[in-house]
Amino acid sequence: MKSIIMKNIAFVILVAATIMSCSKADNNDLENPVVHEEELITTVRLIISNPSGFNQTFDYKVDNGIGSADPSLPEVDDIILDANTTYNVEVKVLNEAETPVEDITEEVIAESASHLFLFASQPTAGPGAILFSNGSLDSNGEPFNQRIEFETQSVTNTGTTNGTLTVTLKHEPTNKAAINPDNAGGETDAVAIFPVKLQ
Amino acid sequence: MLLVFYQYLAYAQEPCNIALNIKLVEKHNGQVVSPAVVHVDEVNLTVEADEKGIVTIDKLCAGIYTFHVHAAGHEHYLEKVNVSKNGELKFRLAHLEGWLDEVEISEERTSTVIQDKDKLDKEALTQQAGNNLGDVLKTVNGLNTLNTGATISKPVIHGLHSNRLILLNNGIRQEDQQWGSEHAPNIDPFLANNITVIKGAAGVKYGTEAIAGVVLIEPAPLRRKPGWDAELNLAAFSNNRMGVASATVEHNFKKLPPLSFRLQGTYKKGGNYRTPNYWVANTGVEENNYSATVGWNKLHYGVEVFYSHFDTDLGIYRGSHTGNQQDLNAAIHSDTPLVSAGFTYDLERPRQHVVHDLFKAKMYKDSRVGMWHATYAYQHNFRQEYDITRTPTDDAQMNLTLNTQTLNLNLEHVPVWGLTGELGVDGIFQENFIQPGDRLFIPNFRSRGIGSYLIERYKGADWVVEGGLRFDYRWYELFNPEGRNGEVVRYELDYKNLSATIGFTKNLSDDWQYSVILSNAWRAPQSNELFSAGLHHGAARIEYGNKDLKAERAYSINTEVKGAIGEKLTTDISLYAQYIQDFIYLQPQAYQLTIRGFFKTFGYTQTNASLSGTDITLNYNWTDNFSTDLKSSFLFARDLKAEDWLILMPADRMTLGNRYQTNVGNKLKDAFIQVQGQYVFSQWRIPENFDEIDYPRPPDAYFLLNATIGATVNAGKQPFQISLTGNNLLNTRYRDYLDAFRYFVDQPGRNIILRLRMPLTFEQ
Repeated sequence: MKSIIMKNIAFVILVAATIMSCSKADNNDLENPVVHEEELITTVRLIISNPSGFNQTFDYKVDNGIGSADPSLPEVDDIILDANTTYNVEVKVLNEAETPVEDITEEVIAESASHLFLFASQPTAGPGAILFSNGSLDSNGEPFNQRIEFETQSVTNTGTTNGTLTVTLKHEPTNKAAINPDNAGGETDAVAIFPVKLQ
Repeated sequence: MLLVFYQYLAYAQEPCNIALNIKLVEKHNGQVVSPAVVHVDEVNLTVEADEKGIVTIDKLCAGIYTFHVHAAGHEHYLEKVNVSKNGELKFRLAHLEGWLDEVEISEERTSTVIQDKDKLDKEALTQQAGNNLGDVLKTVNGLNTLNTGATISKPVIHGLHSNRLILLNNGIRQEDQQWGSEHAPNIDPFLANNITVIKGAAGVKYGTEAIAGVVLIEPAPLRRKPGWDAELNLAAFSNNRMGVASATVEHNFKKLPPLSFRLQGTYKKGGNYRTPNYWVANTGVEENNYSATVGWNKLHYGVEVFYSHFDTDLGIYRGSHTGNQQDLNAAIHSDTPLVSAGFTYDLERPRQHVVHDLFKAKMYKDSRVGMWHATYAYQHNFRQEYDITRTPTDDAQMNLTLNTQTLNLNLEHVPVWGLTGELGVDGIFQENFIQPGDRLFIPNFRSRGIGSYLIERYKGADWVVEGGLRFDYRWYELFNPEGRNGEVVRYELDYKNLSATIGFTKNLSDDWQYSVILSNAWRAPQSNELFSAGLHHGAARIEYGNKDLKAERAYSINTEVKGAIGEKLTTDISLYAQYIQDFIYLQPQAYQLTIRGFFKTFGYTQTNASLSGTDITLNYNWTDNFSTDLKSSFLFARDLKAEDWLILMPADRMTLGNRYQTNVGNKLKDAFIQVQGQYVFSQWRIPENFDEIDYPRPPDAYFLLNATIGATVNAGKQPFQISLTGNNLLNTRYRDYLDAFRYFVDQPGRNIILRLRMPLTFEQ
């Protein structure tokens, strides 16, 4: 009786020990996870030009990073434009976390039907505002706005004005005719807020 | 005195041709007693009761007969009856406390500590055929579901869920990424012959994570009599045009009596579901499940091998994967869902694809010291998430594997000094890893655990006392990619815990039973709680883990009073209070600006919590055919450090049901009609900082009307059970606080369900 109990206890301990020392089947994948942050956008770039030779680039950049616990502050360029002038604008979205820098704009243009750029100016009209027109169309003839025209308004009596420009990129918007991002539906892939000064 | 109830039918009386229909029920709750055996001394007749606890004896002469009833887990019943004409008898057997209801006469015994247990028997499960596991369990008082839409449903016991409860799938702890609020259990309810829910901390017997309780999903024991058994279940749902078919076939070999096997399979396919006013886009579901069991069962030893495969595809409402906080607010404020749809079975992105394979080998052997059990199980869980991507691709963005091996050894020892009980050892080994190139979700990890326990029970004249002790050790090795370059950092963590339990049950009288249990349970923090650093899809929030989290320890006291008042009223009242030390939860922190806009951020932190409440069930039998039952549950969940209510706890609710059951001629047996109303209160017990954490406020209270009619049809040789159910018959528009889709869409509208069950028996 005793030997049976002893045998049973020994068996139990042996099995338990086996479980505890179960060696990993050399699982390299497990010990070296390789993550890839999908389709990361770090930068919204505006290329603003006009026929009289003006050509400048303005960046809005936020470093997300994987696993970063520090909220990144955006690096933003001030947009300084002449009042009462029309400009041609092209939007680019980039992933500057990669080397070389990944130009995501190509992909967005290829999937133009499921993307929409929206522009909003603060103030919306009057001195200091920017009006938007002639936005480019997607493959279905619906608004896309990767290229668009800015029409800057006048300045106030003091000579300069300060406002903001918000550029939003929406993925799979449900309403392509929307002016306001909240009415467009879909997911916001990028939103860039630039300080604007007209002079 | 034991009570017996007679009802004589107006059949012509004939000598020696008297038929008796005997029904066996449990004394306190009226539930069917099966398996059971009825023996009649005077004619030396022994008959087995069927699964409804019914025994039919015919060709009796008039006279006095002595009936004995033997049923495992119940007291031996003895009654002398004066039989003079055809009739129906109902024998009420008293349940032996301390034994789980599915203690079979010669099958595996799953004894456990005295707990507040609710059981869903075969009858109850048949009425829920085709529903997912969360929805099946929701019918138990005190249980709710945490949803991500109508197709993803996780069980909630007394306000707790995910990795605060254990699902035992055929005796094996289900390991299927249960920590995720959008991860429904990967278990096919058709595997179960009965489901038992243990409410309350059950750490001693079941190990870590048994804080809220344990759900035991148990198949029927393999057939022992030679011959074939088969069953076909069909269900059709109108709301999402879903069809479900499940079949089982079972055989015991006449030439080899110890050998039996069972094969089972289920197929399910449903499309978008519909709220009263619109379809919810991309919410279809498909399931392909099958399982096989082979057993070699001899009197003193046996082996059983089991394999199950679960495969599901689930669509996620497209509009729920919003972008930033502003996008989420726009979706919340929209009157209609932002993504509109009609009906389709097609599944688009975002969607989940999960496969769960379980292999189990179990051995039992009787010996002079008691019954030995050894169980080994291997589980492979593979979860894929197909996200919305910018450019079309066929790949899944996440491919997460979780492999788990468990080994359990236990001994149910022979009585010693009047004590019966068991001691055991549990071991677990787990590996969790992504595929290279996946998006970051949770860190890869490897974990090992060992636990050993002792449970002893002492039975007095009309009372039982039970106590248990358990020691657990868990060790984790985690590999977390961190920083700009995703450099892998290795962490090692370990946890130890001692759990204890003591319970006491007493029969206050023939009609009343009282039990009280003190128990505790614990769990180690999950890898997402330790290391999250990313966006929670569909919630527009960024969650940050906390490496310094300690293990949660829960201490609970449950009391239950069950009794009968007079002939007609039975009651079951349970009161519980649970203190959870170092309760882990998400605390709101500052908003974070990313290129995608602003997101709320939350960090995992700990507090001390107390969850207490009551589950009350009352059942009134107006007549033998007509009964009313009232179920209600109330939960009070507090954050003790903040002296405030806890977030996201289920609201109080009450259900009132009426049921009329009768036989209609010879063709329709157990025909019934059932009408039920459920009222769910609005959750007003919310913390003061609710608006920082969540928006909008919990939805309004709502009332739902459900009804079912059904019968067992005896047309020709093959009986079958048929039922027609209408859920949300009033097509009420409502939202539920515990559904993550409450921001976007209403709950499903009316659903008409047709169910058919055909048990086929081929006797040899």
